[in-house]
Amino acid sequence: MKRWSIYTPEGVQDILFEQCRIKRKLEAGLRRLFTSYGFIEMETPTIEFYDAFGGEIGLIRQESMYKFCDGKGRLLVLRPDLTIPIARVVATRVREESLPLKCCYIGNTFCFDELGGGKQNEFTQAGVEILGIHSPEADAEVISMAVKAVKACGLEDFQIDIGQVDFFKGIMEKSGLSPDEVEEVRELIDRKDFVAVEQVMNRHEVSDDLKALILDLPRLFGNKDILAGISRDPIGEKASAALDYLQKVLDILEDRGMGRYVSIDLGMVQSLNYYTGIVFRGYTYGVGFPILSGGRYDGLVSKFGKDCPATGFSMGINMIMMALERQGRIENGDCQGILITYEEGARKYADAYCEKVVAEGGIAELDIGMGGLEACLKYARAKGLEKVLLFRADGNFETFERSTDL
Amino acid sequence: MRYITIALSKGRLTELSIDLLEGAGLDCSELKENSRKLILSDEKNKVRFFLAKPADVPVYVEYGAADIGIVGKDTLLEEGRDLYEVLNLGFAKCRMCVAGPRELEGKMDSITITRVATKYPEIARNYFRHKRRESVEIIKLSGSVELAPLVGLSEVIVDLVETGRTLKENGLVVLDTIADISARMVVNRVSMKMENERIRRLIDAIRAQLKE
Repeated sequence: MKRWSIYTPEGVQDILFEQCRIKRKLEAGLRRLFTSYGFIEMETPTIEFYDAFGGEIGLIRQESMYKFCDGKGRLLVLRPDLTIPIARVVATRVREESLPLKCCYIGNTFCFDELGGGKQNEFTQAGVEILGIHSPEADAEVISMAVKAVKACGLEDFQIDIGQVDFFKGIMEKSGLSPDEVEEVRELIDRKDFVAVEQVMNRHEVSDDLKALILDLPRLFGNKDILAGISRDPIGEKASAALDYLQKVLDILEDRGMGRYVSIDLGMVQSLNYYTGIVFRGYTYGVGFPILSGGRYDGLVSKFGKDCPATGFSMGINMIMMALERQGRIENGDCQGILITYEEGARKYADAYCEKVVAEGGIAELDIGMGGLEACLKYARAKGLEKVLLFRADGNFETFERSTDL
Repeated sequence: MRYITIALSKGRLTELSIDLLEGAGLDCSELKENSRKLILSDEKNKVRFFLAKPADVPVYVEYGAADIGIVGKDTLLEEGRDLYEVLNLGFAKCRMCVAGPRELEGKMDSITITRVATKYPEIARNYFRHKRRESVEIIKLSGSVELAPLVGLSEVIVDLVETGRTLKENGLVVLDTIADISARMVVNRVSMKMENERIRRLIDAIRAQLKE
């Protein structure tokens, strides 16, 4: 029999030492950021019922979830997402008076998908959600948190693309296409397949100005002037209101100094069964995938039995780490701290000194019986410690500096 | 300025791709020399090129290792990658077809197909699953797929048909067309946004040549 004991399964990884330090630092920075703006942290179970994600709820593909059974034969999954559990919590456990609710999370999610390019089967997501309010201000708040989160991680060259799925839905209602045809057009626009969109639209009787706009959809991305260029006459009330809403969100972001990070993509039409208004994605150099995504999902909480508007975003910490690495933005983190060793009879001096350094916020470790000064120096060299102190029985100590003696 | 990286398919698409890129004002001279270098560049425009096996081009582009790729629609369908498919370049035209012995002509709906041989297992699986709602056994081959029905390995095949000559010479006929195939230009979803201006200019310059 082959022994698997020394390997880890595909798609999961050990995050060690320096990598772990950087990851924890990012997580701590994000947690501080979110809570500073009044988002309350929430932790939901790693294991949930399959029915919360798949089956009738139908939000996550069956093939992409890790499944197993509980003692009663019910189907369980390792959570593939962190927003859906929060929707469940809000629908079932949060009282009306507590809304609107601003919450945040940092946790691991699990997904069987193709690996590579920074994608793993287990990955850490951080994000915020605002539930119980439908307003442009709330959408803008979520987007501005996304911008702040990327900056807090140390990335500068990035871009948040904002779309509006109600605009697409409105135009499609107006066009009179059947649901299957709408889905076909959606897929093509999502791929920016200009030619195929034209082929499909030429098969249909749609007014010329509306058709021109649909053909243009794959091209309607870039700076904010795009919105002004859209003629409101042919698009109908719903799409027109959707654009007004988007414009309001953009104006708020402009006032809040986020304008330079934001651009538009009206052809962003993925996951229409989930999102109901503003949608957005974040991009940076060095990774070929979005580093964050989010939007308004007013229909999600009602799947758990209570109507409640909601908006939020989530960010992939592993993607962020890859972007930082590829952009050369990982700072060199020498291990901080000192090692304190002692001759016979000096233990209490050494211990007192160690406690003092730690109480002052420094990092100090006491010799754990390494077997003499040479062994201590070797340990300190390998770990990159700043210095080694050797305490004598009279309470004085000798210092060995990293720069000179180690 | 950052380099924009273009992945080209090695093989029959290579020369026509280079013509289009040159027509768009890029310097492909290094690419045309028969050198052993894997990555070639146009320093003036800050563009890098490399040649890859066609099936790998969508992979490079999806992961962002290349910003742009030129590749056949057959490969895109088979690989099913999440990309922007911005231009139909129009060359290397052919069809993805289901083909089989002449006796099956017109009988596709009345017989039950159990085995399908192909170089394109994903395309074949999707076609039979979604369009015909049938579960079939897909047998993956690496070449001369026409052989399979002749020696009884499968009832039908799924393959590219350009002129239909090979089929005809072996007594096979096209039973159904799955998709029209030609070369496409694809762009990574992030690159399209981060390098919007330069990539759009390149798309426009290539599109202008296609209209001529």
